[in-house]
Amino acid sequence: MREPPYATELKPYGRALVDLARQRGDVLCLSGDLTRQTEVDLFQAEFPDRFIHGGMAEANMMGMAGALARCGYLPFVHTFGVFATRRPFDQIANAIAYPNLPVRIIGFMPGVSTPGGPSHQAIDDVALMRALPNMTVVDVADAVETRQVVAAIADVPGPVYVRLKRGEIPVIFDDDHVLRLGQACVVSAGSDVALFASGMMLAAALSAARALGGHGVSVCVINVPTIKPLDSAAVLAAAGSVRLAVTAENHSVIGGLGSAVAETMAEAGLGCPLRRIGLRDTFAEGSLDATYLFGKYGLSTSALIETIWSALGQPGPAPAAPHAATVAGSGEYSPV
Amino acid sequence: MSPTLRVSDPGIRWTVSDPRELALRIRLRAVQMVAPQGFGYLGQALSSAEQVAAAFATARPGVDRLVCSPAHYIIGPFAAAAELGLLDVSGYGQNGSGFEAIGTERSPVVDYTCGSLGQGLSAALGFALADRFRGSDARIFTMVSDGELEEGQVWEAALFAAHHRLDALVVLLDANNSQVDGPVDTITTIEPIAAKWSAFGWHAVDVDGHDVDAVCAALASAAAERGRPSVLVCRTSTRHGLDCLPPEADGHFIKLTPDLAQAAISELTAKLEALRA
Repeated sequence: MREPPYATELKPYGRALVDLARQRGDVLCLSGDLTRQTEVDLFQAEFPDRFIHGGMAEANMMGMAGALARCGYLPFVHTFGVFATRRPFDQIANAIAYPNLPVRIIGFMPGVSTPGGPSHQAIDDVALMRALPNMTVVDVADAVETRQVVAAIADVPGPVYVRLKRGEIPVIFDDDHVLRLGQACVVSAGSDVALFASGMMLAAALSAARALGGHGVSVCVINVPTIKPLDSAAVLAAAGSVRLAVTAENHSVIGGLGSAVAETMAEAGLGCPLRRIGLRDTFAEGSLDATYLFGKYGLSTSALIETIWSALGQPGPAPAAPHAATVAGSGEYSPV
Repeated sequence: MSPTLRVSDPGIRWTVSDPRELALRIRLRAVQMVAPQGFGYLGQALSSAEQVAAAFATARPGVDRLVCSPAHYIIGPFAAAAELGLLDVSGYGQNGSGFEAIGTERSPVVDYTCGSLGQGLSAALGFALADRFRGSDARIFTMVSDGELEEGQVWEAALFAAHHRLDALVVLLDANNSQVDGPVDTITTIEPIAAKWSAFGWHAVDVDGHDVDAVCAALASAAAERGRPSVLVCRTSTRHGLDCLPPEADGHFIKLTPDLAQAAISELTAKLEALRA
């Protein structure tokens, strides 16, 4: 595990997809008019004959991807997460998820990581994809996991939805970190609180744990890159021996990681209190940059610290966040 | 006679000696399939019988593909497959049957069908792209209904197909002017249909959808088209070929009482005997 401030990488996904395509002739790449933004300009340059411009027609693109998968191809479909899930939901359900086809849907720009306003913010993509039978849902945390996710999902027999940060991707894990699909892993040990984080919230979770640790609150941070199927055993093992469980996701608190963890704990009869950090059933407006939105909507390191501090009934003011800027990462990009 | 059989499966064989007779037998079989329930998608079989017969008469078994975009029409391909000795469709539409009245993923015969309308053409494009990647010359016979033209996805697919010059595609567009709420032209103006597809870059022709020779000829012309996909706008009626249907019969979902079913079977059997004589 590296220490903040984290270095960043560009296009780890785009390079990993090219690597897979070099090994496997069945890999196809579809793009919905967001080729450079989804890093697959790299694929298009090297494999123009296996690259398909879907244009601004997500419904048709999903339908085609399903049929290509029926014919033995491995289609990777790219657009922003919001357009990958909301617009063609019925097409994904009927043409991909129901027939359980190996289409990989890659949705960039998760949650409030975009200044593009509610139309561009994928705040319910995990909930939508998680509700579909047969679908695997992945939200990786950093560049090391992003590099590995392409190979990790290549042989999943059914459909997979992956949400990926766009632009500069922080490098949080050491290079020997291994992403194991379907597994959550403890990345920082602790005994008072189990803090489950997915995707872009891992950096904030680690930062909050560090700050709280300095003030007598021991926080166990669990990285949960696979939201579905959820690693129930890891969730119960972590939440079973603490005073408080917390989830942190760059997504609505309805239907995503928080819901999945709550369902697992409730069905197991775990009486541990739970707090869900995420968008509180709201659209997110008014921004120039993502950091502002993470702060405004309670997704910051400070919000994590304050939520845990107050839920535990700790006396006095909550400790200050050490690295306010670690959540969204540095580097901004213009909305498209 | 595998329940997972599809017209594109290698090794499958059938022959259509007379498409007119097959269309008649599709109607008769469809009546027999719907009769046990007393209601069903008989109107779709009546309007598309000649298109289905022409597709089976034209398609190369084990090579070409059949896509049935509106899954309510699956009764037609099922009936044709049954009449060609490919399939036992007993149990159609009944509880526990693998032959759901609105087609599903386990529906045999076709390469793709979907009960959520307007999606089949996109699947057909995916097949066409896959076939192009593999160097296959398979044609993709795609049944689409006129009501589906109200769905935007159909036009997304139409744009894509023309841009990519997917000439392996031929759409049999069943213009029966019928949708759930009534005649299509009272709900949305979709005319001029052929002109719209032409404007999108397709080879588009209007055909009398109940003239099976005309449909077969149009399919043959479409096969000769290079560089653009084809659509046959087949003008049809959901009541065609079954004179005993009462005037108030709802073409989208026909009620078939035991008496009416018997009358329909007698009428179609007599017509079949007359045709054979």
